[in-house]
Amino acid sequence: MTIRSKVAEVRINFSAVDQHNNVAAVRPDDFAIVDRDLVVRNFRSFSRSDYARLEIAVLVDVSTSVATEFRQELAGVDQLVNRTTGVPDEGFSVVSFQDAKPTAVCEDNCRSMNAETRFPVAPRGGVTPLYDSIAFASNLLARRGDVHTRKILILFSDGADTISLKSLSDATQSALAQEIAIYSVDLSPQPHSSPGTLVLRGLAANTGGRYFPVEAGLARLLQAVVEDFHATYTVTYKLPNHAAGFHPVRILPTHDLSLQFHCRCGYYYPTNPEE
Amino acid sequence: MKRFLLLVLVCVLPVALSAESKARDQGTIVRMRMADCIGSPHPLMDALSGTNRAPTGELCPEYVLVADTVVYVIIGRNADQLVPLAETTRFHFRNNELLIRVDDARRESRFRVKAMVLRQEWDRSQQIQEAAAVSAAHHLDEASVVQAHQ
Repeated sequence: MTIRSKVAEVRINFSAVDQHNNVAAVRPDDFAIVDRDLVVRNFRSFSRSDYARLEIAVLVDVSTSVATEFRQELAGVDQLVNRTTGVPDEGFSVVSFQDAKPTAVCEDNCRSMNAETRFPVAPRGGVTPLYDSIAFASNLLARRGDVHTRKILILFSDGADTISLKSLSDATQSALAQEIAIYSVDLSPQPHSSPGTLVLRGLAANTGGRYFPVEAGLARLLQAVVEDFHATYTVTYKLPNHAAGFHPVRILPTHDLSLQFHCRCGYYYPTNPEE
Repeated sequence: MKRFLLLVLVCVLPVALSAESKARDQGTIVRMRMADCIGSPHPLMDALSGTNRAPTGELCPEYVLVADTVVYVIIGRNADQLVPLAETTRFHFRNNELLIRVDDARRESRFRVKAMVLRQEWDRSQQIQEAAAVSAAHHLDEASVVQAHQ
């Protein structure tokens, strides 16, 4: 007997914010999905996501390129580890990167971690394997939780990469493949003129996360994480195009142009859907 | 007689122009992508008036708008020129441009028409494309079944 399972349905998780960057409640007729150029308005299902658990990995840049913001960065990690409340259950992992490769500082239960004692007093290492570290942290998160777990990666960085074997595209794909949203905290001294800022913005936008300059404060980031956890929607629709390869996805408003939607930027449709 | 004709023309022209600008058509946007922005249709005039802009490699939103009898491929003037993707989009023409009013915006959004095709022809080409896609998917399916049996 041959069992066949056709992948004919696309499932997208997303959240929406208004012009003030506050979470917005939406209905199915508030948005349309552009899947590989095709506009989809008829959805098979639409509901609040049934996430029951939050799994967080914090990725900390401890290279010398972030020296000026290093203390602020550590304080932020401490805040994240100790103050995230409002979600039913969560796991915390912390990964640092410097020199040639990323290192897991602690996995799953970092609640008792004191960042001051687990990180060097001052940043060290002149090279920054940012993209390799994102892939590493994505794999770490992939091992945790189930379909009811929202997985997010909080990235403290200036967006600069100097030594990774993987590319920015590889890093993005590794997060997309595991449905991990990246929340990036920009440590650049001058975010507006930094090329790293574009990298951090892109990582957040393409994975359905959010971007924050470090000046925005960790409280805003934490609020966004919790809000998105509680106000994520799941929409499913019939696969509009069977072309193999990457299907870029955008969610756009049908009437209120001030709404902004955060979702992963697409999915891969395999050459052989049964694989 | 000449004066009379002139008077008629003066009276009728504004009404005719008004009617042209108010006549609205409607359609549905079925495709959307970011494409290379196209230059000004009047580069010489723009250069003389100092409003010309060098191509920047910017991407502009391009839409396929299906109306009752004609299908339009339209493109915006800049990257931010997004329109709501509602089921029904109302539009009209002015000075060779297609104008879409966004409900919340005060101004209408102006698009250049990149291509036009009769709806019948477009429907026919869509049917052919869909048949080809179904055939390809079926072929793929058969191949995977054969592979599974081997």
